[in-house]
Amino acid sequence: MKIAHILNALGLILIAFGAIILTPIAVALIEHEYSSILPFVTASVFSVSLGFLFQKYGGFSRNFDDLKRNEGFLIVSLSWIVTAAVGAIPYLFYGLNPLDAYFESVSGITTTGATILTDFSLYPKDFFFWRSLSQWLGGMGIIVLFVAILPQFAVAGRQMFFAEAPGPVEEKITPRITHTAKALWLVYVILTAFEIVLLFIAGMPLYDAVCNALSTMAAGGFSPHPQSIMGYHNSIVTWIVTCFMFLAGSNFALQYRLLIQGKSDALVKSEEFRFYAFIVISASLVLSAVLFFGNRIGMLDSIRDSLFQIVSIITTAGFSSADFALWSVAAQTILFTVMLVGGCAGSAGGGIKVVRVLFGIKYLKREVSQIIHPQAVLPVKLDHKTVPDDTCRQILGFLLFYIVMMMGSALAVTVIEGDGAVGLVGTAATIGNIGPGFGEIGPMGSFGGLSIPTKMIFIVNMIVGRLELIPFLAMLHPDFWSIRK
Amino acid sequence: MDILIYGATEIGYMVTLRLYQEHNITLIDDLERLPDKFNSLDISFMSGSGGDIDALEKANASQADIFIACSVLDEANIVACWTVKKIADIETICFVRTMELYRNLASPTWNRYETKYDIDTVIWPEQLLTQDIFRIISVPDAIDVEYFAGGRVKLFEYRIKENSLLLDKKIMDYGFPQDVLIVGITRENTLFIPDGSTVIELDDKVIFMGRSHALDSLAATIFQKGNTIKKAAIIGGGSVGSLLSENLEKAGIRVKLIEHDKNRCVFLADHLKKSLILHGDGTDLELLEGESIGDSDVIVCVTDNDEKNLLCSLLVKQLGSERIITRVGNDRNAELFERVGIDVVVSPRDSALKELLNRVQTREVDILALVEGGQGEILRLKVPEDFPDTRVMDLKFQAKAIIGVIKRRRRIIIPRGDTIIRAGDMLKIFTTSVDAELVKNLLVK
Repeated sequence: MKIAHILNALGLILIAFGAIILTPIAVALIEHEYSSILPFVTASVFSVSLGFLFQKYGGFSRNFDDLKRNEGFLIVSLSWIVTAAVGAIPYLFYGLNPLDAYFESVSGITTTGATILTDFSLYPKDFFFWRSLSQWLGGMGIIVLFVAILPQFAVAGRQMFFAEAPGPVEEKITPRITHTAKALWLVYVILTAFEIVLLFIAGMPLYDAVCNALSTMAAGGFSPHPQSIMGYHNSIVTWIVTCFMFLAGSNFALQYRLLIQGKSDALVKSEEFRFYAFIVISASLVLSAVLFFGNRIGMLDSIRDSLFQIVSIITTAGFSSADFALWSVAAQTILFTVMLVGGCAGSAGGGIKVVRVLFGIKYLKREVSQIIHPQAVLPVKLDHKTVPDDTCRQILGFLLFYIVMMMGSALAVTVIEGDGAVGLVGTAATIGNIGPGFGEIGPMGSFGGLSIPTKMIFIVNMIVGRLELIPFLAMLHPDFWSIRK
Repeated sequence: MDILIYGATEIGYMVTLRLYQEHNITLIDDLERLPDKFNSLDISFMSGSGGDIDALEKANASQADIFIACSVLDEANIVACWTVKKIADIETICFVRTMELYRNLASPTWNRYETKYDIDTVIWPEQLLTQDIFRIISVPDAIDVEYFAGGRVKLFEYRIKENSLLLDKKIMDYGFPQDVLIVGITRENTLFIPDGSTVIELDDKVIFMGRSHALDSLAATIFQKGNTIKKAAIIGGGSVGSLLSENLEKAGIRVKLIEHDKNRCVFLADHLKKSLILHGDGTDLELLEGESIGDSDVIVCVTDNDEKNLLCSLLVKQLGSERIITRVGNDRNAELFERVGIDVVVSPRDSALKELLNRVQTREVDILALVEGGQGEILRLKVPEDFPDTRVMDLKFQAKAIIGVIKRRRRIIIPRGDTIIRAGDMLKIFTTSVDAELVKNLLVK
């Protein structure tokens, strides 16, 4: 590991991020909230100067071409930690204590959407815009963004790109990684713009439309309205947000094929997407039946709310169109189940990822057949292609680690908070980047009342969950830290 | 006919042996390596390579009618065919041994890439063998099956057995489904064209022609009572084994495939969608019993080793299998196989030879297929542009013939007496070879 490489890369990222963090000032000017300019300028200045400092120690080298695997992992992990810290600076100006500010920032940039705010009326519009924007930046992946915009990462980008989103299959839609990153962002921007327009037409004020669209496409879940989407009391808005959340939870590379390259069957052909759609539809049907018969909610409302809520939870957005913390235990159990699934690989959603769940099911099916036919050769296939052995092992390892992490965190939080529900659901909601849980930390509640150690555990959960465990796990090995010159 | 053959190989020998008495054959290959057996044949030799334009010119390629490339090297065969096309536009037949090359040159899905030097016929013996085995499995009692119009029209030949529903019936008395015709009957080795009042007798071989699905349902009702194939076992996962399981999968048959090479197993499991791939030896009795291979409706032994095929076949026969199809590489073994009780013995060389002879004999393009050892012919005739619309029953046939299929642009019509024939139609006519010439002149006034 070369310290200089890491410092240089981080420095570059910080300088670029320092420029991006100036965007909310535009909103401040439009909305005449001149007091909001200072926090963002401060954050920017801090970010840029830290960036230059890092680069100075790194010797201003622009050559990352021989980036090693562990360096890639470390750069990616540190970028998330450091950018979240920079993103937390503006919150400090609005009276949040440092831990809460960092929690809110991490929750934003990892697209979790868990908030520590209790009273939304205390903060200006700029504050909420930055929350949504930070989600939007994190939604496609900070590293993907910088690989797309910084030419210095043209070669090293590959290493970092896949370190950030270590899905089961490395998927490049174009031969060159910078083009792939740009293509993904293109789809992302187009969909976001489209949603803003639709929400605006549906009657949402422009500012709210922008903020909600930014958090929807990121599968984030921060809304400027204290009651989330429910607060707009507009069922067309609910439907629009449902559709875009659904897209945010499916593979962007495939959507690129569909939208830009015009391959109409790109999505439908993907086994993962079909399974994702199947889960969404079947879980929504069951949930709407539970709501209709159990909670005596009207037919249309129960269908709309259950579809919205299932999509919102499975894509790990965490919006709410109804306060599901008040729903019956049966309904909450269904939501908790899809919480564990998460979005598709290569989407803005977090969680275990549909493809890994699908693989797990197929693997179990394979093991059963193998008992009956001991000599049969039974590969596990995804999209009609055999999954190579090392990928199999990696996915199984991931599933196991995910469970271990969840158990560990859930047990610790349960002990600290003295509440099993907060422990289990809160862990699932943070490690899966979903956001709200049930009960006290439900969609209308807040994470603000939790104790300091719990918040710290959840912060770790969010970052580790967003990076899909693997960079974090790699760091646990002593050889990761071997320093080269 | 003048035939030019490149490659003094085993298949080259078999082709020569079948053709040299009726045609003038010139063989091109390295004469130093020429096997002795060729010397007993009445043909001329030319030393050289098929890819050498000089050698081809010396062999008088421009005057030849057919060029057959069957040397040991696929690529050499292809180059030879291309080279011949440079000299003259004669029909080329090329032998290949791998799926990739066959697909490249002949598969219908890839024929959008047309080149100047296309090879007319590509023969991949193993693919033909697979086709033959598939026919035998999918129409178990049929003696012969031919496909026309891309498989939309079929021809079946069946032997009438004692318990047949058709026995001692007049053709017009039995309610045949629409779109099926009886075009010929072979009785005591002579083929004749029946009419409605012909009575079907025991041991007649009846030739049906019609739309594929109509024939399939006919076969299911009349000839295959309780004899449908649901489970198949294949021993040997080479190209025949894998192609065959692919075809069987498509036909909805459950396949178990046994292959001894682990890597090949992985490859097969990767490429086949539903078949169960078992890693093990086909002669491993424990495996055969454990997977209840004996319960399969049909077992196909297609390893590349004759002795192994024989052993496997005998083992599964012990396990109680009714139908066994076995591949034989060395033709001299075939008779022995049949003698020890294997039901159907197939060989890739036979399949290839059959196809090749069909090609050579039906070169007058109008003959689509020969049945009953050449006694019957399926002719293809185009109705001339100035031909007036005529009903089938009003056509004055001087010869015995039956119009089996009318192809009107993309439509397929199985005619009845009142069907109208129009100018531009493509007719497929079944007739005896004696009357073929008469039929050909029928529509041309």
